[in-house]
Amino acid sequence: MSAVKQNENPVSDSKYTYIHDLKYPAQAVDAHHIEVQGRGAKGIVLSILIAIICSHYFCTVLPKVQSSSYPLLCLLFGALLMKLFGRRRVVRESVVIMPTLGVQLETLCKSGKTIRRFVPADVILKPVLQECVTPVACYWNLSLLLRGEEELTLVFKEVRPPLKILIPIWKALCAVSGSCAGEPDSSMR
Amino acid sequence: MAERHRVLMVSDFFYPNFGGVENHIYYLSQCLLELGHKVVVMTHAYGNRSGVRYMTRGLKVYYIPWRPFFLQNTFPTIYGTLPIIRTILIREGISIVHGHQAFSTLCHEALMHARTMGYRVVFTDHSLYGFADVGSIHMNKVLQFTLADVSQAICVSHTSKENTVLRSGLPPEKVFVIPNAVDTAMFTPAPKRSRTDEIIIVVISRLVYRKGADLLVEVIPEVCRLYPHVRFIIGGDGPKRVRLEEMREKHFLQDRVEMLGAVPHARVRSVLISGHIFLNSSLTEAFCIAILEAASCGLLTVSTRVGGVPEVLPDDMIVLAKPDPLDMVHAIKKAISILPMIDPQEMHNRMKQLYDWHDVARRTESVYDRAMNCPDQTLLERLPRYLSCGSWAGKLFCLVMIIDFLLWCLLKVVQPAADIEAVPDSATTHHQSGLDFTDTILFPLDPIGSFLFWVYRKDQKLARRKPCRMTNNMSDTA
Repeated sequence: MSAVKQNENPVSDSKYTYIHDLKYPAQAVDAHHIEVQGRGAKGIVLSILIAIICSHYFCTVLPKVQSSSYPLLCLLFGALLMKLFGRRRVVRESVVIMPTLGVQLETLCKSGKTIRRFVPADVILKPVLQECVTPVACYWNLSLLLRGEEELTLVFKEVRPPLKILIPIWKALCAVSGSCAGEPDSSMR
Repeated sequence: MAERHRVLMVSDFFYPNFGGVENHIYYLSQCLLELGHKVVVMTHAYGNRSGVRYMTRGLKVYYIPWRPFFLQNTFPTIYGTLPIIRTILIREGISIVHGHQAFSTLCHEALMHARTMGYRVVFTDHSLYGFADVGSIHMNKVLQFTLADVSQAICVSHTSKENTVLRSGLPPEKVFVIPNAVDTAMFTPAPKRSRTDEIIIVVISRLVYRKGADLLVEVIPEVCRLYPHVRFIIGGDGPKRVRLEEMREKHFLQDRVEMLGAVPHARVRSVLISGHIFLNSSLTEAFCIAILEAASCGLLTVSTRVGGVPEVLPDDMIVLAKPDPLDMVHAIKKAISILPMIDPQEMHNRMKQLYDWHDVARRTESVYDRAMNCPDQTLLERLPRYLSCGSWAGKLFCLVMIIDFLLWCLLKVVQPAADIEAVPDSATTHHQSGLDFTDTILFPLDPIGSFLFWVYRKDQKLARRKPCRMTNNMSDTA
């Protein structure tokens, strides 16, 4: 991972750290990174809990499964869940803005795999901040409205940073698309 | 300066549905926004309409992606809505939760969770319910549970208050009567009525048993027989429509009974002003906004004397009858005789003085002020109220509240309140903020949510729609 020259006051909360990469001139390359804080302990505890519940269920419901195999089942389920969570665990998501070319969206996983998608500048109609609602949660998200595509393109697929982190990235994307409607309210800064 | 309240209106019944409860929530919210309060509405998703929407004057509506399962009601999970309700209450900075309608499961769950988290709650009952049948007995028990710990309650008529107090065991001093109102600017009389000898009787209601559609089947042929110059216009749809059409065929009344089918709310006024008399045959009504709308349009009303209907209009604007075909025919006869003395414009002007949504909002504001003055209470102080609900039910209700409290404590550990960021208070000026309020998209990123429940995936074509515009009526356009 190349060294990142940060801005003086990186914005962070309990889960995410926002880093504005100042290594290159902003007119050439404007990079914004969101790093995920360590959440390993929570994932491990959750995996263990689910593993215990699943093992208990199998031992209780399935008559052929013996109770002596209960610890083995716990280990199996736990290992499976941790592998699942670990593989998908995201370390960092980045937005690299090249004003003359377009925007590159990157997702760096713990396994070292990096998923990249490049969006040409002439395809971007507008970046939008929107509130997403699930049956159990509500959060802000940043998406791109693209020409010729019916679906909005998520800028950050895995992370859910707070609004205060999304706003500077949204402003930078507005500059690329040339779609700024004005300054946000002071309450949102 | 009066305290600014931050109100969350919760009900399973809201736009795009049209009805008394939906209208009440919308107009009350608009007038409260005008008074300077913050109002957010929470309801369940309607088809593709899910996520966050903004209506007139920046009224924010959360359409929670929970599929309705029976008569527009959300599936009752007791604790399933706790995470999303907690999230909304914290991010919007809510101070009062106002639930509407006893038949709304989302309302009951929201009030329960709000009380667990220490918020003030207000409940408005819009309907009358019985005491004898199995459904009513269960509904009344649920109501007793919800209202055991409510801060204040509102009913739309004195009859409704009596009904609610008897069903729930709530002390009468906690219940306020604030009637509904009508948008008199929208419902105005016809500027000039054409002079004919024909008298047109208008019926606009859902064609269901509860709204007295069976009475109409008996009344209409008799009235048509007695008065050859009377015509009927029937607007609305429902399972009883077939019976009315059969009646029309049987008595050869095709040219005298016109059936319009479902009438959009925006067209109701145009239907009303084509008539002279409005006929309401409901078998039960807590209030009946329909007769207010008819009176505002200058129509003389004939109605069954049920529920809260006698409290709604002055005696010279309404002719009441028992819910019996013969009595209703006599009432229509009386109405026809006094029709020449009715001045539609004068009736409209009187309605403007009598009913006003701004007055309803001011009175509701007083109820909110009283609710905010209620003392904070711990779980142990609140539990005795549930114990008094019954020998077995009381213990069950206490157990439900204790489990709810424990789940709330667990949620505070898993998702601390500090992690839920507050939404900027920029609803009325959001179009200047630079934020683009498009429709929201749902993602199954929450494994628990998508595993347990049916997550709505937004219709992707909607992504190309323009942002919501401010409109002057109850429909947001895009």
